[in-house]
Amino acid sequence: MEIHIGNRVAEVELKSKEGNKVLLTIDGKEFEVDIMIVENGYCSILHEGKSYNAELIRAENGRSYKVSTYFSSYPVEIVDTQAKYLRMRRKDENKPDNKIIAPMPGKVVKVLVKEGDNLLAGDTVVVIEAMKMQSNYKVNSDCCVKEVLVKEGDTVTNDQVLIMLEINKTEE
Amino acid sequence: MIKKILIANRGEIAIRIMRSCREMNIKSVAVFSEADRSSRHVLYADEAYPIGPAASQESYLNIPKIIEVALKCGADAIHPGYGFLSENAEFARKVRESGIIFIGPAPESMEAMGDKISARKQMIKAGVPVVPGIERQIDSPEEAIRICKEIGFPVILKASMGGGGKGMRLIREESEAAEAFLAARSEALSSFGSEIVYVEKYIEKSHHIEFQILGDNYGNIIHLCERECSIQRRNQKMVEESPSPFITPALRDEMGKKAVAAAKAVNYVNAGTIEFLVDNEYNFYFLEMNTRLQVEHPITEEVLGVDLVKEQIRVANGERLHLRQEDIVQRGHAIECRICAEDTENNFMPSPGIIRQLAEPTGIGVRIDSYAYEGYEIPVYYDPMIGKLIVWATSRKLAIERMKRVLHEYKITGIKTNISYLRHLLDTPDFEQGTYDTKFIETNADFLIKGVSINKEKSENIALIAAYIDYLMNLDENKPSQAADNRPISRWKEFGMQKGVLRI
Repeated sequence: MEIHIGNRVAEVELKSKEGNKVLLTIDGKEFEVDIMIVENGYCSILHEGKSYNAELIRAENGRSYKVSTYFSSYPVEIVDTQAKYLRMRRKDENKPDNKIIAPMPGKVVKVLVKEGDNLLAGDTVVVIEAMKMQSNYKVNSDCCVKEVLVKEGDTVTNDQVLIMLEINKTEE
Repeated sequence: MIKKILIANRGEIAIRIMRSCREMNIKSVAVFSEADRSSRHVLYADEAYPIGPAASQESYLNIPKIIEVALKCGADAIHPGYGFLSENAEFARKVRESGIIFIGPAPESMEAMGDKISARKQMIKAGVPVVPGIERQIDSPEEAIRICKEIGFPVILKASMGGGGKGMRLIREESEAAEAFLAARSEALSSFGSEIVYVEKYIEKSHHIEFQILGDNYGNIIHLCERECSIQRRNQKMVEESPSPFITPALRDEMGKKAVAAAKAVNYVNAGTIEFLVDNEYNFYFLEMNTRLQVEHPITEEVLGVDLVKEQIRVANGERLHLRQEDIVQRGHAIECRICAEDTENNFMPSPGIIRQLAEPTGIGVRIDSYAYEGYEIPVYYDPMIGKLIVWATSRKLAIERMKRVLHEYKITGIKTNISYLRHLLDTPDFEQGTYDTKFIETNADFLIKGVSINKEKSENIALIAAYIDYLMNLDENKPSQAADNRPISRWKEFGMQKGVLRI
């Protein structure tokens, strides 16, 4: 089965399983591990006598994970048949839209642009405050403001779209 | 006699204060905003009352409301913690006027010291050296530019009522002055309720060393030695230790005496901190006085074996200091790391959210002052600091080793934290040798950005195996017929009992 971890794509296959002892291959290489996962996502893996720990957070769809192991945290995506199908279907709809997205929850302190404004790369469009820190959001290329979706004082959530932009096409 | 204390704060410090209350058999009263109903200080307290909406201006900074609650519940005293109203003289005065004891200094000393412009004036008068700068407020961006040029770049803009690094801006050249002034002023207003900012010369290579002092109502003031707080990012402290690896016993003695003199100049009562800048030639300058308990107070407690909150309460109760200067002897070494909900790989962006898993370190020499718990959602309205990790050991070397072990044990998922960054920071040669100054983060930027060195492939493989097996375990065909069993590893056991290869 295809599994994505960060930018890496790995092929993982289960060979056999007896109780907690699992034999599997990652990109053809065999791993024999003793694995234990408790309900809230704590995971213990014994491999060649070494003890490893991981913490799992499973997303609603049951295929996306955030896995933390030894000071690192990885996004992991299990690509089963259903995921493959959904991905193919989505490909057409997912144009690289240009928008300003809130990377964290917070409060909109200032909106510095309005619809139709022409902006230069580096212009600040919106100021968000979270946990007492203010951050300026800037555009990274010359563009035009298509739509402003928030107003000052609004509370925004993680990954919320704040502003839609139209990137100026360079003359071809 | 104080029998019930209202804690006008939230987060780890509210719990820290309540713990001492409980040991002293004093009832604790929590107040909370709408965003904090599920916060741990509410759960820990003996009594808890709502005081308004999430925004601090309308809750934790709402003076009339907090005093009203204190009167209604019959609290004898109010402890303000740090931040929020802790250095607000108007609050201290109103608390006193309503017949409640304010656990802290008199409003007059707070005004003299808490307002940093007036503090500079006082210190100059008392013969304590100060950093070159101005002793009045700046009103406009134009004025900011002019004054900065007069003093000479680099300069640092500070909120006169500020502290804890908020509302501060370093300005290296003229072009930055106007924007920095406006940003500092707006941050100062939202964090401290006052937009007065002033400017000081920025000393490039310096050590930030502060002295804890303690005074009673009878004119006795002692110092409780120093804390080394030079490891800062954007004037926000990250790691503190005591004793300082930089200063000598002779300098400690001299600075301690000046710290006591500074506190005496404003008739200081209760716990406070005198912050000094020390340059590489061992010259020291008064920076500011914090007229409250500090975030990093635990390292002093660990090294001296003193509970500062209890001392505060005893002084507020009208008792004489029971510690004399000659009783104060540093034993061993303590280090504190501030654990923050922030994304160190993305410019330390705050990362609020729900804590999914939490494993706090324990064992010998470990102390955690935190308000985190599994399932708790860290609100976006307040500080990103979720707790403090403190270790004590007999020597500096052993304390560093212990802190490394403890950071390895500390696991928080669901939100991003600076734990991995801190762990790597401890490996920096400058830190290990104790040869760092306030430039530490900049000087070691290349080293720090690399992160903890790990075998990437190996840790990825572990993550892959964990996710893959969990995925299999949760496939419909593997779900147990009865889902009602709540034993934590029940489903896993069932999975473990199935023989043979799965149909995938």
